[in-house]
Amino acid sequence: MTQLRLGRADALGARLTFGAALPLLALLVVAIAFPLFGGGYWGVIATRACIYWVLVAGLNLVVGFAGQIAIGWVALLTLGAYTTSVLAAGNVMPALHPYLALAIAGVVGAVFGLIVGLPALRLRTFYFAITTLGFATIVTQVALAWQSVTGGGVGVPGPVFPQPFSSPWGFYYFCLALAAICTWMTANIAASRFGRALTAIRDADVAAEACGISKPALLMMVFLFSGAVAGIAGGLFASLQSYITPDAFTIDLSVLFFIAILIGGHGSILGPLLGTILLTVLPEFAAPLVAWSTFLYAALLLVIVLAMPGGIAELLDFKNRRPLESGRAIMPRPELLARLLGMANEAGSLKVDGVTLSFGALRAVDGLDLEIAPAEVHGLIGPNGSGKTTTLNVISGYYMPQQGAVRLNGDALPASAPAQRAQVRIARTFQTPRIVGSASVLENVMIGATVEGKGTFVESLLALPRHWRDEAMLRERALLALAAVGLERLADVRADRLQHSELRFTEIARALMLRPAFLLLDEPAAGLSAAEIAQLSAFLRAIARSGTGVLLVEHHAELIFDVCDKVTVLNLGRKLAAGTPAEIRSHREVVDAYLGA
Amino acid sequence: MRLTRRQALVSAGAAALAGGVAKPAIAAKDPIRVGYLPALTGPSSSTGIGINRGLQLAVQEINAAGGIDGRQIELITRDTQSDPTKAVNGAAELTRGANVSVVFGPVNSGESLAVVPLLARSNTPQVHPCWVDTLTDAQKYPMCFRNAPTNQQIGAAANRYVVEILKKKKVAVISDTTGYGTASVNAYVPMLKSMGADVIYQGNVDAANPDLKPELLRMQSAGAEAIMPWSVNAGFLSRIINTRGQMAWDVPIVGQTTLGSGQTKDLLEKPDYWAKVYPNNFRPVCYAAGGKLTDRTKEFLDRLKSAKIDMGDTLLWWIALGYDSPRMIAEAMKSVGTEPQQIVGYLNKLKGFPGVYGDISFTPEKHDGYPDDQVVMVEANSLKDGAFNLAPGYGA
Amino acid sequence: MVASIVSTGLAIGCIYALIGITYNVMYSASRVFSFTAGTLGMLGGVLGSLFISRMGMPTFAGFLLALAGGALFGLVTEIVAVRPVLKSLEQHLYVLSTLALALMVQQFTAIEWGTEARPFPRVFDLPRGEFDQQFWLPMLACAVVVIGLELLYRRTLVGSAFLAIAEDTYAARALGLPERALRMASFALAGVIGALAGFAGGQMLLAFFGNAPLLTFYGFVPVALGGMGNNRGAVVAGLLLGLFQQAANFLVGGIFASVAVFAVFILVLLLRPEGLAGALVQRRV
Repeated sequence: MTQLRLGRADALGARLTFGAALPLLALLVVAIAFPLFGGGYWGVIATRACIYWVLVAGLNLVVGFAGQIAIGWVALLTLGAYTTSVLAAGNVMPALHPYLALAIAGVVGAVFGLIVGLPALRLRTFYFAITTLGFATIVTQVALAWQSVTGGGVGVPGPVFPQPFSSPWGFYYFCLALAAICTWMTANIAASRFGRALTAIRDADVAAEACGISKPALLMMVFLFSGAVAGIAGGLFASLQSYITPDAFTIDLSVLFFIAILIGGHGSILGPLLGTILLTVLPEFAAPLVAWSTFLYAALLLVIVLAMPGGIAELLDFKNRRPLESGRAIMPRPELLARLLGMANEAGSLKVDGVTLSFGALRAVDGLDLEIAPAEVHGLIGPNGSGKTTTLNVISGYYMPQQGAVRLNGDALPASAPAQRAQVRIARTFQTPRIVGSASVLENVMIGATVEGKGTFVESLLALPRHWRDEAMLRERALLALAAVGLERLADVRADRLQHSELRFTEIARALMLRPAFLLLDEPAAGLSAAEIAQLSAFLRAIARSGTGVLLVEHHAELIFDVCDKVTVLNLGRKLAAGTPAEIRSHREVVDAYLGA
Repeated sequence: MRLTRRQALVSAGAAALAGGVAKPAIAAKDPIRVGYLPALTGPSSSTGIGINRGLQLAVQEINAAGGIDGRQIELITRDTQSDPTKAVNGAAELTRGANVSVVFGPVNSGESLAVVPLLARSNTPQVHPCWVDTLTDAQKYPMCFRNAPTNQQIGAAANRYVVEILKKKKVAVISDTTGYGTASVNAYVPMLKSMGADVIYQGNVDAANPDLKPELLRMQSAGAEAIMPWSVNAGFLSRIINTRGQMAWDVPIVGQTTLGSGQTKDLLEKPDYWAKVYPNNFRPVCYAAGGKLTDRTKEFLDRLKSAKIDMGDTLLWWIALGYDSPRMIAEAMKSVGTEPQQIVGYLNKLKGFPGVYGDISFTPEKHDGYPDDQVVMVEANSLKDGAFNLAPGYGA
Repeated sequence: MVASIVSTGLAIGCIYALIGITYNVMYSASRVFSFTAGTLGMLGGVLGSLFISRMGMPTFAGFLLALAGGALFGLVTEIVAVRPVLKSLEQHLYVLSTLALALMVQQFTAIEWGTEARPFPRVFDLPRGEFDQQFWLPMLACAVVVIGLELLYRRTLVGSAFLAIAEDTYAARALGLPERALRMASFALAGVIGALAGFAGGQMLLAFFGNAPLLTFYGFVPVALGGMGNNRGAVVAGLLLGLFQQAANFLVGGIFASVAVFAVFILVLLLRPEGLAGALVQRRV
């Protein structure tokens, strides 16, 4: 019966994917038929919209999915336009064929996309935004100054593509084809583990690290791809303009690209596409207002940010308007855990070995020894400020201790490398659930096993077989994990519509995706009702029985004594006592410091 | 006083109606569509705004006098906002959407560079007043005509004044970092050298730089006898003039017309700094020796006064250029009709069209219509009623 | 030559430093960086020119009105672009809302005031000398602001309250400090400082809408290099930036000077993201 239910959910998933693709296909049909009802003038506008979309589709992954505020992306359009034009015109070397020049523009765009994007790995949001603005200005200045190559202020003629793309409508179809390919590729990424990982980096980057997602690697790939398509868009732009000068690449254009994505809504493909079309076409209608267009775009951006941060995508999200059933109860099914978690744990034990961690003058953890054995639940309790969560953070690799180490089977785990814990199948949850609010529950859970996908970014880009296999595997496992925690009915609901307790169980499901050898839980019972705590208790015991070692940081004394095989008590960063629950319950100092009579 | 598309349509419609009521026989005459691509807003809009004032006046006068063979001129305007992208969009709409007979504009070189090939592809005749040399090519763009001087002509006049009239050998050439500025410096320095001058300083400076003293000190220590700035940025030019004044350095400044604009004047620290500043200008709109304007120009100034057109914040020659352009086009259409090839044929044979701004002539090989000898240098601080005196030493 | 580079460099460095302080004051009150700091600087110059030159008011009245305009824009920023997004979970919305507001004001200025630089009046009716008022006015303004802020933060109760909400908003709220009122006051104060920067620098930079993006970038460099919220660092970094920029302008020319500034900025940030004098941010988990 379980299998039947899963099958139905899967079919629903397939139907939903087709539902998402339908508007895009409809737009494509309209675009192909456009010459039949639009005149030559609207052809130019439509071509321009296609070219802008080629760039915005790539930028969408950077801004909408990865959440990086790259405002000065027009720099890459400039670079692509000049590269294509200069190479096709033969200013520096013998003239190249326009297609080759366009391809090289893509490569140049990729390289510079990486250069512009790399600071994002080190810099805070605002800093990164400013550096992209500075970069855009610099590129324009260089284009002005480097006269021997770029023609300086007088500029260079744009490339002319050979037949059949040299006529206006022929060129339109060329741009349309490239725009369609970019849409397809970015939609593939959006629906892949990379797209989900990007949203995780954007909205829950600490949790993303815990799932093993390497922010640098992923962002690098995204910047390379976005830069490449921006470069190609530049070449097409130069051809449409037939002549380029530095003053065509204004900051207004950069703002337009950026606002199109935000109007469209982050994490969506259709939204920014509609946003781009809207912003390209709008000035053509409102002729008296055209001088105010940048002002109106900025005003629109302000309104969107304040009133509707989800943008057009949120408006079109009909399925998430349907009310959820009230009085939902979480009914975990521990019996599914055996299937989910698979083989027994052979990883040995996880030891905290003499760890000392200070924040300035405050010693948060002071010479702590702790051992978590497989197939047992180890509780960690103590008053507030005793260092429980800090210990958990050291184990999961977020903090580097000044002394001591965390050892798995005797080998020290690298400190300050939280993303590597997933490789050794250590998973965790957080004190406050860290999830991607705008993604569905199922997508959130699928993020948990991102690192187990085998396909590369390019394979997902092109929807090659390994991409589909990864998706099927992740989807199946996530549905099983949701069924195990009892939330499978909410699989396609937006995560931010869930109750707090449901979010906690979702996080647990996500952590279970890694089939962890060790599961670290940070106060999972906070905010749960008594019934839910009982469910959680049985569930944790079942997890341990399957072979996983569980570390449970908790305040709920009943839960601890109910479910733990061993308990360690911390006070002021030091181990106060350790032993079985019965021993701890009667330990004099523990009762004095923490439990009370 | 910007005439938008809707206003143009409404006024043309009203005019057609009025004409129809009075003379039912010609009620069926369609208006003649003329495309217009000015930069009325955006960073480079001062030229467009000035030209627009003259152009609107001319179109109103022509239409009030009955139009062209009873057909009213319908001006279809697309503000390019100083943006080549919008200029291309606008040109596409004018040619393929509105099907205009001829296009005037764009007025900025960056926009024209993108629009000229597009209009050539759609076989639309074009008249524009941009200066960048490559913007006309009788072979490549046989339907494109320029009714203003080229950069070459402008620079040649300034260089001639410095080297031959003022007899200065050591020259400093400076511009801002815009396309126009850098292209000018690149073109004029070789021209100066071939005339035997010694270019002891050549530089492009960011117009936003608030302090130009180091640059002028450099020029001074190199022994400059004349400074030649090329920029349309009033802030930049005023800083050069102000710094020269602060240094009490007595050396002539000879260069771009904007040196004499009202905007530059407003930014001067002291009015007497404006002495010994000689911008380009155009003989027909200047006071000749004896302080007299030509009759044509005087008449034009009177017309401007009665139409209450403001000159204080712009240049007279921009308004004059705007005034001449539709009149030249209208005359072409009056003679040969509105077919593109006919208009081009007429323009190719045009000899001495009597404009207020200048006498325009074209040949099939030369589509740059402004005569060399009408480009002159004037004295900036002689500004009176929008016109200047010729610079001292100007004979012929 | 050197004297000219030094005087201009220090003067313009003070303007950058003041804009950096504007960023810092807004940051201290709300933990957000606002894109409106550069726009405030621009408004100081434009409003000063509008009131004194265009509308003919006496200089001191125009000065006060320009500062009032800055305070008003600071308040508007807090109410419209900062307060609504502080409540939201999404971390980065403030970047977008303040960017949108800054763009709106810049475009409005470009359309209504004009895209050309307009003259800025002489503040004091003194003859022009080597060390002219356009150089020492920004320096004076910077000194006044730095000393004033120092006195405010260390000697007055209100200043201590400002520091409290900057350190720990929760604790401050628990103590009963009116967090919202203090934040609004901080933004108004930042508005005054920004407008003062623009007014003092008006004779050098002129009343020009294009000063806004310029000051947004160059005014942020002192913050980045000096450390977030660190006013002393901002002053030092601002002065160094001004001198470096003028020296580079002179040595290699306008275009490459901008490239040089940008390259140094990026390199420092990549090597020390917290700034040369800043403190590392600790707890994220």
